[in-house]
Amino acid sequence: MVRVWHVWGGTMAEGFTKLCDAFAKEHPEIELRPVFASNDLATNQKFFTAVAAKRPPEVVFVDGPQVAPWAEWGALEPLTDRCEQAGINADDYFAPCWRQNTYKGDVWALTFCADPNFGFVWSKKAFREAGLDPEKPPVTIEDLDRCARALTHREGNELTQIGLIPWSQYGAANSIFTWGWAFGGDFFDYQADRITADDPRVVKALEWMVSYAKEYDVTKVASLERGFGSAEQNPFITGKVAMMCLHIGGIADLARYAPDLDYGVTFIPAPPDGEQRSSWVGGWCVSIPKGAENQDAAWEFMRWLCASDEGTALVGEATGLFPGYRASPYLKSVQGKKHYGKFLRILEECRHQRPVMPVQARYMRELSRAVDAAVYGKLSPQAALKRATEATQRELDIITAGSSGTRPAASGQVE
Amino acid sequence: MQPSTLPGVRGERLDTSSGAKALRRGRTLAGLLFSAPAILGLLIFTLYPMLASLYYSFTRYSVMKPPVWVGATNYAHLAHDELFWKSLANTAYYAVIAVPLGIVVALGLALLLNMKVRGQALYRTFFFVPSIVPLVASSVLWIWLFNPQNGAINALLRPIFASLGLGEPPGWFADPVWSKPAIILWSLWGVGGSMVIFLAALQDVPQELHEAAEVDGARAWHRVRHITLPFISPQILFVLIMGMIGAFQFFTPAYVMTQGTGGPVDSTLFYSLYLFNVAFADFKMGYACALAWILFLLILAFTALIFRTSARFVYYAGEAR
Repeated sequence: MVRVWHVWGGTMAEGFTKLCDAFAKEHPEIELRPVFASNDLATNQKFFTAVAAKRPPEVVFVDGPQVAPWAEWGALEPLTDRCEQAGINADDYFAPCWRQNTYKGDVWALTFCADPNFGFVWSKKAFREAGLDPEKPPVTIEDLDRCARALTHREGNELTQIGLIPWSQYGAANSIFTWGWAFGGDFFDYQADRITADDPRVVKALEWMVSYAKEYDVTKVASLERGFGSAEQNPFITGKVAMMCLHIGGIADLARYAPDLDYGVTFIPAPPDGEQRSSWVGGWCVSIPKGAENQDAAWEFMRWLCASDEGTALVGEATGLFPGYRASPYLKSVQGKKHYGKFLRILEECRHQRPVMPVQARYMRELSRAVDAAVYGKLSPQAALKRATEATQRELDIITAGSSGTRPAASGQVE
Repeated sequence: MQPSTLPGVRGERLDTSSGAKALRRGRTLAGLLFSAPAILGLLIFTLYPMLASLYYSFTRYSVMKPPVWVGATNYAHLAHDELFWKSLANTAYYAVIAVPLGIVVALGLALLLNMKVRGQALYRTFFFVPSIVPLVASSVLWIWLFNPQNGAINALLRPIFASLGLGEPPGWFADPVWSKPAIILWSLWGVGGSMVIFLAALQDVPQELHEAAEVDGARAWHRVRHITLPFISPQILFVLIMGMIGAFQFFTPAYVMTQGTGGPVDSTLFYSLYLFNVAFADFKMGYACALAWILFLLILAFTALIFRTSARFVYYAGEAR
């Protein structure tokens, strides 16, 4: 039996069930048992307890940046040998996907979906109303600032519509990653194993974000944000936000809740000396938990799901997400499709993944705190990012010191 | 069991013969056997985890790999951990304001609800109901009440603030200055539990003392101050201690209202929330255990302090003074 702890609830669950059924038809000898286990703090406790008790599921969904920490903690089985035997290698995947799943010389996961983060979307209706050319989205940060100003409306003392909230793109940490890379910065030095959140270009990005907090008053923006909802109350649909970063899953949501919404997708704007067409990859991966029972059958399912033409095509069709497997026929099929084609271009040019290192969760929290402290004017961008760098580095040093000193060489390593 | 059947009770002479000894042993055994579930439960589910967490607090432990002994490193790290101090300060802020305020409000309500008016039972129910609403549900509800633009609270405050020339009402959870006061206001909504305790205590205040004082010309405030308060002071002590322990462990609303971030700008990062993040987001169980033990010692110290000083303000009926 192969128990699969997956993360697909709601409408996505149907798609995932379809995938499992298709696999079961082809592999009657393998009994699949999909179990919904949303990858949140509470279910992850269950997962780690199951691993510690040596009763884990056979397959588990892991968020991309979690792969390295989970491997470091000893929760995953290395897949390097299996990949070699199956002839699966780096060239089969978009480069950041493969990098994300490789840690300390081993492969720990295969990419289920590669999310091009992000598509920059603008409301053509809002552009028209503000007297801007709806077919000319901002390309530079200067353009962006000008558009944002024109797209912001106030009623008395309160904001009713805002052009862009730079620190609110899927959380403060993901925001600083997005703009930090667009400004030409980087967050980790793999050679030296150093956190580099205080990279001058990242500082520049945060300074730019803070300029919005000052111009539009951060508490006024936060008040506006407190009224944002999801589904049909999405602020981009209700017109409270005119420009934002969009996750690929958002296209389907917008189509469902606001089929007539007139918007365009393009690359993230960047300053002339920054990184043009900047983006990073997000998305889910699948792994075999440490000590799982039917690892061969589990691998068979993983390989079909993440590294076969048939499986990855179905992943695309059933979920609307892009497989990380480059040869997937699904990717060809969406080249000309509205919005999706543009996201595919973004994925093809994608250069980054969030730092592959063992204290990822802490890094995300520290970055989030840094953005928070800077936009609320408690710390200068430089000081805030320096604090994040130092705090995360300290954690990283503890792990590196511990794993070289006490870990037996054989643990998790394939000869 | 009737007490009279126990040997040595009711002045029976203790029989030291071997038969009686065997009987006594048998009874001790039976007694232990009957209380075994409770004793085992306490040992396995309370004492063992406590001792284990004490051990883990001296290790580095991520659950999936065996713990590594690191001595007092975890405790030494605490001193330099900015978030440890920040979360401690937030918790102290909450405890120092919310607990006394909660007592005052609960006591005030209890005094009012103790008045003989029509619909008394109805009013009592009204004020008690909020405290049976589950914490998560009440937190979600208050997120909306505190919504700065569309919330009911600011809708009420807006005209008042405007007429006083104060500008916009507070941003509550959108503003690091107002987020803790918002949580304190929320906590007052749940004073029903303490209110019921005070209400019960008020029934025990001797009516004749009130009457005597009234005859002597004591005013309402003086009667509350010199008769009611001393008589219900043991209950005040109880509510104070339980409230303080609860405040130190404050978690759910902060977690729900800020989605676990403790924002904005760490202003609602309470001690338990930080502990939770360290344990279950970073899987630093050793460090989390150290945090838990410090919390335990803090609660122990404050409880002891309150007990020590309580002799000054708590009056037990029948006590010689």
